[in-house]
Amino acid sequence: MAAAEPLIRSQELTVRFGGNVAVNRVSLAVEPYTLKSIIGPNGAGKTTLFNLLSGQYRPTGGRIFFKGRDITGLNAAARTHLGIGRSFQLTNIFPNLTVLENVRLALQSRAGISYIFWRNFRAYPELEDRAYELLQRVLLEGRWDAVASTLTHGEQRKLEIAILLALDPELLLLDEPTAGMSLEEVPAILELIRDIKDAGQRTILLVEHKFDMIMSLSDSIAVLKEGRLICDDAPEVVSCNPEVLEAYLGGGAKDA
Amino acid sequence: MADQHPPQTPVQAQRAQEAAGRYTRAGLWLQVILLVLLALEPWLVSSFRVMDVAAKVMIFAVLVASYDLLLGYTGIFSLAHAMFFGLGAYSLALIIHHAGAPLWYHLPLAALLATGLAVLVSLVVAFFSLRLKALFFVVMTLALAQFADILSIQWHSLTRGEDGVSFKLPGLLDVGWSGGKLWGLTVNGRLLTYYIVLAAAALLFVGLVRFVRSPAGRVLKSIRDNEQRATALGYKTFNYQILANVFGAVVASLCGVLYALWVRFVGPESVMSTAIMLNILLMLIIGGMGTLYGSIVGAAFILVAESWLADGLRAVKVFLPDLMVLQRLADRWILYFGVLFVLVVIFFPKGLVGSAREIAARRRARVRE
Repeated sequence: MAAAEPLIRSQELTVRFGGNVAVNRVSLAVEPYTLKSIIGPNGAGKTTLFNLLSGQYRPTGGRIFFKGRDITGLNAAARTHLGIGRSFQLTNIFPNLTVLENVRLALQSRAGISYIFWRNFRAYPELEDRAYELLQRVLLEGRWDAVASTLTHGEQRKLEIAILLALDPELLLLDEPTAGMSLEEVPAILELIRDIKDAGQRTILLVEHKFDMIMSLSDSIAVLKEGRLICDDAPEVVSCNPEVLEAYLGGGAKDA
Repeated sequence: MADQHPPQTPVQAQRAQEAAGRYTRAGLWLQVILLVLLALEPWLVSSFRVMDVAAKVMIFAVLVASYDLLLGYTGIFSLAHAMFFGLGAYSLALIIHHAGAPLWYHLPLAALLATGLAVLVSLVVAFFSLRLKALFFVVMTLALAQFADILSIQWHSLTRGEDGVSFKLPGLLDVGWSGGKLWGLTVNGRLLTYYIVLAAAALLFVGLVRFVRSPAGRVLKSIRDNEQRATALGYKTFNYQILANVFGAVVASLCGVLYALWVRFVGPESVMSTAIMLNILLMLIIGGMGTLYGSIVGAAFILVAESWLADGLRAVKVFLPDLMVLQRLADRWILYFGVLFVLVVIFFPKGLVGSAREIAARRRARVRE
């Protein structure tokens, strides 16, 4: 293969809700091991695009390719198995289990031992150790034996990323990982995303509201406006694009 | 084993600590002491009544624990659990009754039949009603339990209806058999049956404990906590709920076989009725849901109260015959039982064992600080 094939690629992707075209003929490609951010004002279709890519919604037009394979017809569970992992805007964890157990269960799911009911679950120490490593990775190891519901909001987001990493996806779809987080907690999450990116094993697609935060983080930035892709380029180029400045920084900055 | 790799992370340190303290845990010693006491019970107290209550506590402890697997660990609220108990009890009773004379192979055959029936019926229950919403599931299982109860009363040619079936056990287990004395105690069929019940109940209980502490058991716990999340991790939650349903039903059914073995009489009232189901629920609530060991405490609490609370109050009546008020109260011993139950629920909302664990955990946390 000459040029690296994009890990995920959408082609003229369109979804219509009644008369409203939420995502309008978006063709987007993410190269392997890069980080692409999707920005745009509220209602630009960012989360809808995510839902199309992860299989929560069915498109009304266009196709999606993952590693060159057409996955438009696959449901969300099948895409998870292919290696597309996604985090949600709302935190989704096991509140009454410990932090370590949250991650261990994700690892257990991949380990293929989950129907075993005659052996002790602690007879697999490698899962616990790996879970702890992942907690170290997201800087949450200090709370490993805490019950998940007692974590702060920011810590729960970190836990969710650890669970996501435990599923070992090739493509991470992160939907506003800093949403609802206090200002002090945001830099740690961005640092964590940068770490994952620098490790060079995963491709990341990130939806984010805050333009300045993703400038240095992203390899490329795609800008959506009213369901259309108006720009997709390197951060420096995007930030100088007059249409972007007008559409996003001009119009959307007020409510951001 | 731990020497080559000194513990590095807190997780490994905790694991090493647990492995080292494996045989010095308080819980383990409690279990050993309980087991020894139960094994020596016939020598410690020479009363058939005490032995009878001890055997029933063992059987019901396992039965309630198997229900805890459904309700406390998986969040499945079924009212058909007593039905599985009844299926097992009738399996043994009817095989011996219809065979005419008790033979040895009737016992394993009954265990096999009880297991088979439990698997079959619980699969049917699971497939037809587990996908329903929680409330409908409860109603479905209640209807099924009622159906089984009515069947056991009406199908006279098979079950002898409300008269029930009393039967004899083969060979050494027969009440009539007696094999001389051992350390001052007559070895007879009753005593041998007691030990069969003890061994089987212990084995089944260990099986349940292993189940909830297995990888599959952990998945069940995660399903109860956040089913949607468990699905997103790639777990087919329906399969796990079926597994728990079938496992719980098989254990309940085997408890029924043990109960029939011990009582040698099976009737709709004693093994199939809704009253049994309510008893199971009460025992579970008193002992504590999601603890498994709570079922031992709950079963002991209710069975002991049922057998001796009435006696105690009758004694009051005999010794203080002049106090009419007291006599009236003694007649209503069941009322005291109700009060006792309400008190437990008020002061120990998580059940006796659940609340005790909570207190212990809080104390441990305080020590660490």
